[in-house]
Amino acid sequence: MEVFNAFIVSIASVWNDSGFAAFTGGNAIMIIVGFVLLYLAFVKEFEPLLLAPIAFGCIMANFPKTGFFEDPGVMLAIHYGITNEIFPPLIFLGVGAMTDFGPLIANPSTILLGAAAQFGVFISLAGAMMLGFDVKEAAAIGIIGGADGPTAIYLTIKLAPHLLGAIAVAAYSYMSLVPLIQPPVMALFTTQKEREVVMEQLRPVTKFERLVFPVVCTIVISLLLPPVASLIGMLMLGNLFRESGVTDRLSDTAQNALINIVTIFLALGTGMTMSAHDFLNVKTLLIICLGLIAFIGGTAAGVIFGKIMYAVTGGKVNPLIGSAGVSAVPMAARVSQIVGQKYKPGNFLLMHAMGPNVAGVIGTAVAAGTMLAMLS
Amino acid sequence: MSGPVEANEVILMGHPVTTNPFIIMLINMTVVFAVLIGLSFMICLIHVVDPTKKAEEKPTAAPTPAAAPVAAAPVADNSVVIAVISAAVAAYGYSAANIIAIRPAGNAVWKNAGRMAGIQNSVN
Repeated sequence: MEVFNAFIVSIASVWNDSGFAAFTGGNAIMIIVGFVLLYLAFVKEFEPLLLAPIAFGCIMANFPKTGFFEDPGVMLAIHYGITNEIFPPLIFLGVGAMTDFGPLIANPSTILLGAAAQFGVFISLAGAMMLGFDVKEAAAIGIIGGADGPTAIYLTIKLAPHLLGAIAVAAYSYMSLVPLIQPPVMALFTTQKEREVVMEQLRPVTKFERLVFPVVCTIVISLLLPPVASLIGMLMLGNLFRESGVTDRLSDTAQNALINIVTIFLALGTGMTMSAHDFLNVKTLLIICLGLIAFIGGTAAGVIFGKIMYAVTGGKVNPLIGSAGVSAVPMAARVSQIVGQKYKPGNFLLMHAMGPNVAGVIGTAVAAGTMLAMLS
Repeated sequence: MSGPVEANEVILMGHPVTTNPFIIMLINMTVVFAVLIGLSFMICLIHVVDPTKKAEEKPTAAPTPAAAPVAAAPVADNSVVIAVISAAVAAYGYSAANIIAIRPAGNAVWKNAGRMAGIQNSVN
């Protein structure tokens, strides 16, 4: 009898210590959400590099009693990297090393398209304030419209850390849905004639320009907006590695091994913020809706500004490149290329769209820096 | 002058400025445009002061008139390029005897295909 009692008590103890005892309906819902995200990543191939670790993090975040964020270990280290703004600048280092700034330098007027596309950020900011979010929360929500995951995480941690999960997921989800969200908006705001514009070949950019631009850009923006100095500095350092021609090993590491490692940590850590307790509420739904409005608003503003440039230049600018002003690099530029080719086969807009696309990255960082300067 | 601060009050230099979302939006958009327009001017300035600009333009402009009378065979020594292309072809199991001609592509398809491949599977 004594053996039987000990056995029962042990079993009960194991059960009480298990995750099943504390498992809630909310956890189950979020694990299903994780499955859906995995499906989108693996079957639909919506940015699987980002969505797969986010989805798996979401599933893991909903196992009760794991103590991931209390006990020292890899999960706490990953969480530390996110909450202390370590990962976003490292991602920017890789983005800088992967990105050709040449199209922007060759055609600096396209920088205006990157600025115009930030309109979505501020539309969403105003909308969020009207829906009852405080100004810091609204700013963090608005930055989703910039379509720049690292910047969104960076700003949210500083202004509204309690909203990190919802904002990061909305930002990365919409980034992965760029090929679905943008084309209808681009078609809505442009005419057939505008979509068929073939743009002139870009002028060659000298190595001097490629080297001086990142340095000058870092100095000016860092002095003007110190809160985003680490983001802009790392972006430009990565680009210098790429362009210098004598730091190939560093460039290779930044654009391959390092960015892949940091992406795993950042995306997994983002998914780990999606616990049912923090995620399943009305605010999350509002944030996801506002994020979509911000994204559509940014795309529309970029395209409309593209139309203005089309008119001003006498039809030399294809307004479709305006949508690349949202900074999802290089997905947004790729969408401009694909949509442009759909309406005029053989029309190569890719390099022209990379100008606003790069400007969008810088513009979103500037928008974040402006909001940090005003609000923090 | 400054009364009790509201939750949504934007405070600059210690002074509450506004709670109006549209004014906040306007201020931010103005700053973003100003900074990016400033950057575009800087790009133009870098182009203007670029000391390597002329040095690079001259060699491309000069050979054109000189090349016209010769017209026939290209005189540039492309032996290194030919060797590299031959090695790359050999790596796929073909011998140098299979190579009939090596000449620049007549259109930009390969170049654009290379650019497209270069932007696949990247993350931001």
